[in-house]
Amino acid sequence: MMEVLTNLFWILIFPGFVFTLAVGLLASWLVRKVSALVQYRVGPPVYQPAVDVMKLMGKEILIPEEAHRAVFVAAPLVGLSGVLLLAAMLWLAGAGVAFVGDVIVAIYLMVLPSLALILGSSSSGSPHASVGAAREMKLVMGYELPLILAFIVAVVKTAGVLEPAEQLSLVAIAQHTPVASISGALAFIVALLCVQAKLGFVPFDIAESETEVASGVMIEYSGALLAVWKLMQTLMLVALPLFLVVVFLGGVGTSGWALGGGIGKYVIVLVLVILIKNTNPRVRIDQAMRFFWCYCGPLLVAAVILAMLGNYYGLTWL
Amino acid sequence: MDTILLYPVIVPLAVGFVMLFLPRSLGRLSQVVALMVSVAALVFSIRIFRLDEGAYTWTVLALDAFTLDLLLTTQPLGSFILMFAMGFGVLITLYSFKSSASVRRINEYYGSILLAIGGSAGILLCDHLLFLLIFWEIVTAALYLLISTGGKDSNFAATKSFAMIGASDASFLLGAAMVWALSGTFVISQISLATTSALPVIAFLLLMLAAITKAGAMPLHTWLPTGGEYAPTSVMALLPAALDKLLGIYLLIVITRGMFVLKSGGALSLVLAIIGVATIVIAVMIAMVQHNLKRLLSYHAISQVGYMILGIATMTPIGIAGGVFHMLNHAIYKSCLFLCGGAVEDATGTAELEELGGLGKRMPLTFVACLIAALSISGIPPLNGFASKWMVYHGVVEMGRTQTGAAGVMWPLWLLGAMFGSALTLASFVKILHSIFLSRVPDRLRETKEASGLQTAPMLVLAFLCVFFGVFYRVPLRQFILPALGAAEETEAALGSWNAILATALLLIGIGVGAIVLFVSAFAKQVRSVPTWACGETQANDDMIIPGTHFYKTVSSMKGLKQLYSVQRRGHFDLYDQSGRAGLALTGLLRWLHNGVLPVYLTWVVLGLLLVLLMLCNIW
Repeated sequence: MMEVLTNLFWILIFPGFVFTLAVGLLASWLVRKVSALVQYRVGPPVYQPAVDVMKLMGKEILIPEEAHRAVFVAAPLVGLSGVLLLAAMLWLAGAGVAFVGDVIVAIYLMVLPSLALILGSSSSGSPHASVGAAREMKLVMGYELPLILAFIVAVVKTAGVLEPAEQLSLVAIAQHTPVASISGALAFIVALLCVQAKLGFVPFDIAESETEVASGVMIEYSGALLAVWKLMQTLMLVALPLFLVVVFLGGVGTSGWALGGGIGKYVIVLVLVILIKNTNPRVRIDQAMRFFWCYCGPLLVAAVILAMLGNYYGLTWL
Repeated sequence: MDTILLYPVIVPLAVGFVMLFLPRSLGRLSQVVALMVSVAALVFSIRIFRLDEGAYTWTVLALDAFTLDLLLTTQPLGSFILMFAMGFGVLITLYSFKSSASVRRINEYYGSILLAIGGSAGILLCDHLLFLLIFWEIVTAALYLLISTGGKDSNFAATKSFAMIGASDASFLLGAAMVWALSGTFVISQISLATTSALPVIAFLLLMLAAITKAGAMPLHTWLPTGGEYAPTSVMALLPAALDKLLGIYLLIVITRGMFVLKSGGALSLVLAIIGVATIVIAVMIAMVQHNLKRLLSYHAISQVGYMILGIATMTPIGIAGGVFHMLNHAIYKSCLFLCGGAVEDATGTAELEELGGLGKRMPLTFVACLIAALSISGIPPLNGFASKWMVYHGVVEMGRTQTGAAGVMWPLWLLGAMFGSALTLASFVKILHSIFLSRVPDRLRETKEASGLQTAPMLVLAFLCVFFGVFYRVPLRQFILPALGAAEETEAALGSWNAILATALLLIGIGVGAIVLFVSAFAKQVRSVPTWACGETQANDDMIIPGTHFYKTVSSMKGLKQLYSVQRRGHFDLYDQSGRAGLALTGLLRWLHNGVLPVYLTWVVLGLLLVLLMLCNIW
């Protein structure tokens, strides 16, 4: 009974839904504020993201006649729930609690929001949404290759120092900082770009580009359903940078300096994401795929080889 | 002496053989008899599974010292696979009641299904290499007959399958003969050959070729997509998707863990790992750009074998268990997908993705089954495909940690191929789901009806198994797989880090949270149905459909990949086509020599005589 209650508390209150949502709303305010500052604007007040979601929830829901209603409605819920589980896993991993699964589970859970977005938009029956869905899927294919390689670099870097049983455990990997080496730094930079694409931020906002496909994947969503998508994206803004912090930067601690340092790392990753977002134009989908496959891919293959050589010769900085 | 071991083998084989010669007017009878026999085989197999130790010997031939015994024994691995194989037999026979209307020779169809079932039972129970080979051939022949019952051009596909699998069966025969020469016995459980010298290694490779060709891995894989396009889909669901995988991987396990002693991390596990990963990645790249549903599914049936082979190649307990679990899971979801494909084809009359769309509302049960199976094969947690892939990944990392050979050092490559292949699999199933069930309904298909209950029931049973084996993945592992492999304790410990039950519960809670948000606001405001927004323009329905076949043009037109795809389409990577071309060139040469002109023949004869003369007289 106690265990059930603990799990419920973890997923719903802290560090799950309520807490992550609060952090996420703050983070999305930060995104908008910093973007505004970059563009010489004042920017919104701190409560603006929350107000936006509230406003959407008060609007009526439109569902296209041609849509597959069940999928159309269920998709945002599935996406939201996947990110929620991912966020709870990552926070708890930083605190030294092995929750639900290991790093492979985390990588697979990260696909869930994209999949939900694709199925939801595809079920709406809109041609714009179909184009958006195709682009989103191609983007997933694109960044998945370097992301897996970056994850392999982290595993290789920690291979020598971890016990056999905790080889792929998030908790154990969170104790180490692979970024403090050449291969780890390369992997971190590329993984950051992958996170940029996963978040759907410029320059990789190809699937919902407003100017060409009128918000693509989101075109038919409105009212509370759109609000759930926005909530999902807010949670992703926490979970995905957190993944980088846990896997590459040594995780978030639980008390004192470690906690402060952890928050600092998260903010640094977030600011990097925001800066990339504000200094780049949107790329085409074929450019994005070529970038991830032909440039990031080989770079990280080299990083994996470097990391393995480092292990072999005992040079931790490689 | 447990005679029950004989029943699941001999009853389907005998009934099936008789059925082949029944007149067409008795079609209904053979349907019912086939169902009865397959259910009986399932009941026998369950009783065999619950038998602790069973053995049955029947001396077929005794010539002085030389005896030929049909040895049937229960091994833990064989008898659990047997149970599932018989289960598939029942489900597919049930499904065929409705779908076999388009089949050309109905008695032959049901007879061959029984032959395939009986042959599989023989393979899984047999402890004698020669009889194993005979049962193996029976399944091959049944596949030939079954594929040829399809529509036009199915004869070509059947011949191609028979030629390719037959070639691998020949290598089985050669390998078996070599094993006999090396060990002096045909009894599988008594064979244990070290792979240190050339001869056992060659024997291993020959037997391996037979196993992976049956399972459908590269390089002899091309029979599968050709068969998939022309054979009835129920045939694909029974043999290449389910039974052939079970049998091929079963044989692979038997030779890697029983008949031969492999050095872990040695050259042979490197060979297996290369075949595994190449199969995963190449087949899925081809699958992604296919436009025909059945062809696409067939390429995935190839690609997924790679995970099983890779799992076995890791030579670690968790990797092998993962490979065997993946074999089981694959049989379940791929069979389900083929059945869904068949239902869609029956309902709409086409398997071309471009002509379909929006059937999710018309065929809700088929859609649910297909969605679950598609997410399973793509490895979405917490479904069964994820559980077994996860175990294979752990096996690969474990291999990198413990093995120092070339296969162990190259573990990042195997892990990359396997995980990336999984992302590409998701991509092709997104394409399927979009093109068939989501998107918009073309005007032509407005009146499409859901498939009959006899067709949807087997699909839903399989879809349920996908969910059950995913969420409670430890149940099949504990009940069937780990005892069969005799590695329960070490693997059990490694399974600790994926808590699928908790994950499912929490995902459901998360969905609940979102649903509450929705309900609150849906109460406050109304929900309205509106036409699709086309930026103010009025378009005809059919003009607004974007088929999924256009999804991955970006990939197939990428520099480098484009050339590879075009070479592949022309069949240059198809060993069947290539050997066909070589054969044609050879006969072309002979035809050129035999031109029927008398003086030319005379010249050849004179030249030959001259040569003989020269040799006889030792002139040079």
